[in-house]
Amino acid sequence: MKHFLVMMLFAALASIVFGAISKDTTHERVVYGVKVFAEFIVIGLALGWLLYFIPW
Amino acid sequence: MVKAERLDVERIEPAPGSAWLIGLAAWFVPGSGHLLQKKWGRAALMGGAVWLSFFVGLAMGGHMFDLSPDGTAPVSLFDWSTMIQVPPMIANLGSGILYVVSWLMDIGFADDPAQAARTTYEYGNTFLLIAGLMNYLTMLDAFDVAAGRKS
Repeated sequence: MKHFLVMMLFAALASIVFGAISKDTTHERVVYGVKVFAEFIVIGLALGWLLYFIPW
Repeated sequence: MVKAERLDVERIEPAPGSAWLIGLAAWFVPGSGHLLQKKWGRAALMGGAVWLSFFVGLAMGGHMFDLSPDGTAPVSLFDWSTMIQVPPMIANLGSGILYVVSWLMDIGFADDPAQAARTTYEYGNTFLLIAGLMNYLTMLDAFDVAAGRKS
């Protein structure tokens, strides 16, 4: 659980910066930031499960 | 004005000197580039993310990189063990004053096996690297705002 929380913190910090530097309006930035955050989490979980089944 | 025309205009207009100074300040003190331009929200969010990432990385026992491999003096700048330190060192250097002060005080640079054995050691490394890289992005954003290329 701790690993997941650390990953969430990492995703949150990175998506804040990605969101803030992108797009033109505040609404677009928030949407983009949330999208990047969700992508970090989903891809992180997917890779975690993928590596779980690889035996080395 | 279509995007291609806007890009042409941007290419012609050189950035003012103040934009370079703001870029330098933004690198040296994370968040200061936006603070100087009274972009309070962005300064708090982006600067705060960099500072938080850096201190979380240190608290997790992360390790920063300089030119001395494994805490020893570099043999030569072109030695492989020294050269491999350069890319992560460039990432760490992005943290500006945080890196400089840590380097001067030897915080986060020691190669301690007990520290490396911590479960959060690699996370710490990653947070420290990302803090620097995020500050490079923050610096470029502050520069663009100062140069009038971005609102």
